[in-house]
Amino acid sequence: MIALPQKLPRWLAPALFVAALGAAFWRAPNPAPPAFVPPPAAAASPLPALFAAQMLPQAAESAHAATLAQLADGRLAAAWFAGSREGAADVAIWFSTLSRDGWSRPQPIANRESTAGGVFAHVRKVGNPVLYVEGSWLHLWYVSVGIGGWAGSSINHSVSTDGGQSWTKPAKLQTSPFANISTLVRTPPVPLADGGLGLPVYHEFIAKHGEWLRLSPTGQILDKTRMAHPVSTLQPAVVALDAQRALALLRDAGPGPGRVQVATTANGGERWTAGEPLPIPNPNSSVALLRLKSGRLLLAGNPPDGREALLLWISADDGETWQASRSIEAAADSGAEFSYPALLLGRDGRIHIAYTWRRQGIKVASFSEAWLDGGQP
Amino acid sequence: MNAQAAYGILAHGLIFGAFVALLPLGELRARAALAATTVALLAGIAPVMHGIFGTPSLTLLQLAILQLANKTPSPLGHRPALGLLAFAIPFYAAALGTGAFDPYALGYQPAALLAALMPVAAVLWWRRRDVWLLILAVDLAGYASGAFANLWDVLFDPLLVLLAAVIVGRRGVLRLIASRLR
Repeated sequence: MIALPQKLPRWLAPALFVAALGAAFWRAPNPAPPAFVPPPAAAASPLPALFAAQMLPQAAESAHAATLAQLADGRLAAAWFAGSREGAADVAIWFSTLSRDGWSRPQPIANRESTAGGVFAHVRKVGNPVLYVEGSWLHLWYVSVGIGGWAGSSINHSVSTDGGQSWTKPAKLQTSPFANISTLVRTPPVPLADGGLGLPVYHEFIAKHGEWLRLSPTGQILDKTRMAHPVSTLQPAVVALDAQRALALLRDAGPGPGRVQVATTANGGERWTAGEPLPIPNPNSSVALLRLKSGRLLLAGNPPDGREALLLWISADDGETWQASRSIEAAADSGAEFSYPALLLGRDGRIHIAYTWRRQGIKVASFSEAWLDGGQP
Repeated sequence: MNAQAAYGILAHGLIFGAFVALLPLGELRARAALAATTVALLAGIAPVMHGIFGTPSLTLLQLAILQLANKTPSPLGHRPALGLLAFAIPFYAAALGTGAFDPYALGYQPAALLAALMPVAAVLWWRRRDVWLLILAVDLAGYASGAFANLWDVLFDPLLVLLAAVIVGRRGVLRLIASRLR
């Protein structure tokens, strides 16, 4: 043990400790119990039956994991990752917006070099992005990996205040004590009553399960909660049902043939409880969940055998029961993959879905509730 | 670059220099440590360490600074290293997904953890472990600065635990060798 200089009085170390402890108590967050922003009252959608689909301009050979947002000026925005193949060093997060002239030429908004330059750490690859609009702020969360595979991911956060033209340097969300590994993001956050956000994330190292990050209005992590399940789960998609209750539907990561897994909270996301899985198959693929203008819930996912079709289900009772609705796209050939859906409710009541199209590109379809109910455009 | 990224890369530069200072370099030790710190920062070693090990704890940084300042022997002797290992291994196992409880989450609203540090500090003071008490005080001051979101991250990190494992393992190996030489 090293010896301190003799002139240091014995009371100095404890005095410094007490002062630092007091400062730490002062700094420690002590937020009010969490609550969701209650969803708006249900109303009938006046839109007629409509359906239109369009491929986004190709950014690179391989594309995956799209996310959607509606900017403050009303434009739709999409982001996804694309490169020579998933996990390659040349993969970037690409961004495009929809105007009267169609979808804009995709622009790279994050890659391994820009991420490494922002967080000052080695980055091997980037992956899943999530966009979310909060007033004039456009948030971007995306995963990056320093070492190993996707299980070694951490989450980066960047913000644009000019509709995606320029972005702040990314900052890492500190979510794990072990080299900050194994927290990934795939689905959009849920607004909280205190001005913060609840961000659904998931963990892949050793065990696979959903997690819930409570973020303060300034983006600080206030809490982290596990969504424990008896089976492996990933990628929770969450909707708030009222100020206290929310429903999370999760990808079933096996083993064996899966079903869409369920977690619920009755205290604003403070604790999550595993529910009975839905009688809806899930072939270990990402799902998307959205509360519609009518108050019904819309689920997008794949059929039991694989990702060769993208299907929709509707619930009119807060997720208790589900009915099969329409099919967005299906094909029987070996290259068919229509997966990783992202749902968005436009301010005009239109529903937008973006999804991976054969790993070659991203497709966006827009439709109305009347189309969901069987109406023909 | 945000404050945490700046801290992370600078701290890893110093930590790399401290590891070099452990080598038996005689009179060249101080210069080699300074050169290693510079090389780590300029040649990309510190960003790689930051990418692999994450943001270093303030405890590890302080131990590295003590090493660079030639304040030997290090406070991280066999018993503290053994205690750290005994705590950190189940902690990491639980935090990385074994079971439903995530102890790392306690560090985001750490009032209970801070309260638990009071008896720890009292024991350190009673047993005249003033260096460790000062290290703990600097850890808490670092947390109070707002640069760390989670209290656990100022206290220990995987690289510190790896160092503790090396210290504990080294003694075990030396004892094994000694027993075979008898």
